[in-house]
Amino acid sequence: MQLLEKLQILADSAKYDVSCSSSGSNRSNKKGQLGNASMAGICHSWADDGRCISLLKVLFTNYCIYDCKYCVNRVTNDIKRASFTPDELCELTIEFYRRNYIEGLFISSAVIKSPDYTMELIISALKKLRYEHKFNGYIHVKSIPGADLSLIYQAGLLADRMSINIELPSIQSLKLLAPQKDHQTIIKPMSYVSEQIQGANELTIYRKKQMFVPAGQTTQLIVGATRDNDLTILNLTQELYNRYKLKRVYYSAYVPVNTDTNLPAINTSPPLLREHRIYQADWLLRFYGFNAGELLDENHTSFDTRVDPKCDWALRNLDKFPVEINRAPIETLLRVPGIGFKMAQRIVRARRVAPLSFEDLRRMRVVLKRAQYFITCKGVYYGDADIDSGNLYSILSEKTDTKNIYGQISMFAQPVD
Amino acid sequence: MIYVTDGSFEGILSAIFEAYENKEIPESIVSRDFYQISLDTDVKEIHTNEEKSGRVYNAIIEKMSHEALETIYKAWLSEHYEVGTALYKYVKIGLKIGKKVLSYLQNPDVLLVNDLAHKVAFESHRFLGILRFKKLKNGLYYSRIEPDNNITMLIAEHFAQRMSDQSWIIHDAKRNVYALYDTNEIVFTNEEIPITSDGIVDTMFEQLWKNYFKTIAIESRKNPRLQRQYMPRRYWKNLTEVK
Repeated sequence: MQLLEKLQILADSAKYDVSCSSSGSNRSNKKGQLGNASMAGICHSWADDGRCISLLKVLFTNYCIYDCKYCVNRVTNDIKRASFTPDELCELTIEFYRRNYIEGLFISSAVIKSPDYTMELIISALKKLRYEHKFNGYIHVKSIPGADLSLIYQAGLLADRMSINIELPSIQSLKLLAPQKDHQTIIKPMSYVSEQIQGANELTIYRKKQMFVPAGQTTQLIVGATRDNDLTILNLTQELYNRYKLKRVYYSAYVPVNTDTNLPAINTSPPLLREHRIYQADWLLRFYGFNAGELLDENHTSFDTRVDPKCDWALRNLDKFPVEINRAPIETLLRVPGIGFKMAQRIVRARRVAPLSFEDLRRMRVVLKRAQYFITCKGVYYGDADIDSGNLYSILSEKTDTKNIYGQISMFAQPVD
Repeated sequence: MIYVTDGSFEGILSAIFEAYENKEIPESIVSRDFYQISLDTDVKEIHTNEEKSGRVYNAIIEKMSHEALETIYKAWLSEHYEVGTALYKYVKIGLKIGKKVLSYLQNPDVLLVNDLAHKVAFESHRFLGILRFKKLKNGLYYSRIEPDNNITMLIAEHFAQRMSDQSWIIHDAKRNVYALYDTNEIVFTNEEIPITSDGIVDTMFEQLWKNYFKTIAIESRKNPRLQRQYMPRRYWKNLTEVK
């Protein structure tokens, strides 16, 4: 089979993994060798679906022994199959990298023969890349569920980032759709990698830096393939960040690729708005100091479609507003709808020099469309409706243009963590 | 009074020095390229002077910090027609309030300099990703770019570190600025280097890359607007995958 056709098959099977980030590692270049990693990550292109391309994202093989119902590569599907040789994979990575098409490699795989056999194949390709080709670029490796922990350790020494996809957000869903995978084959390696990363960081203190997955580990959850609600997904996310110290949780709106009575029909369009809301909430957990419990609870298990999660929270906590732009601590500013991380920092910096007026904010291009109802400037309220008037929800939901939803996904299409 | 400079960074700093030396307050500092003759105002031609510009350069570092100098320099790379005047006003404020000038975004001139610097930094980061090399017959890698801002100086070092074992040329075709790297050091030049299209031999990997680019998109999530938002059309003609 020609390389062109292989690449097409193995990229096509890899595309539902949404992780694109190339950040978090500072692997450096050694003179006369190829490549380094960039802490902030670099996007190299954007595909027709608007998602960033930063890594060469391919499967090692799409031959699979499993029959997971949601997956395009399930053994019972009649699709074209292919496998790379380690040399082919190295050549593609190196030659793409030299032309600055990519930031590195994202290697995943279906399970061929056995999890251990698959993991060994991946390791041999990565060893070639690192040792023979002296490649110091970014590598994201997927750990194969069920592979021996010693193999996962070896892969972790070669990679910058590692991930194992949970995919289905609850044990019930896993049993229903991926009966051959068991919950433990996912959680065990995740907690193992998390311990190894911490161990490597502690070693660094008194020894030469040992690189074990320096950019941390991530996972992916599928949204909309099962009945799991937003609350289940958000609580799981919170636990993954707190307990396993994950760098990122990615969410993938389910694109139906198979027919099954337990799955959405094949022509169902992916729940993009729902995915978008969950990403917004994920951001609130990681950078804005929110807890899952503040955003959703048993009485409120799904995100509002018409206002974003921060707005939704603010509307349920009107007694905490309005806040004074010139005095509120940054943690409070971050909770104002419409004020993002960068803007909060800008405000805090500027007000140290001189107090800010409403006009100043406008000039600094703070988006006041939503924020105006939740702030005062030098004690004056500028909202065009009163905060106690009771119609803020209808005002604010009109200001969120759902038609424009794709255009707003700016914050997570960047690979910046 | 209008000061007219040669448009160089040193030229603008020399003009700022002269404003202080002559106790004048020029209403604008413009580059010769943008200057339009006006009969109502006095005009003074500024000669770029290394000592004068050097003194302003050092004063910026001492009174305001390295970060301020970096902001000023990046803003200059924007080639914005009002950048000379804005930098003059920025330095004037900075000499009074010190490094707080970096945060004084309430002031329109400070905000303009800050925005220009931000735009330049944003575009140079963008080009770390969307710059493409083509392999030439002689083994050199060649890249043609046409950025909005004069960013070649800012991005060359990144590629020297990353592709430390390969020789390359980055060519800003808009400004005719070249960065050359020979696996040892970077040289910047304005002297034209002839590159003919038959010197480029790169069909196989370009084909693979184009094919990969097409395949990786999910059909049911197609979103050309979002794609163009991140990767504006004006850059496409130098991008292998969408050309």
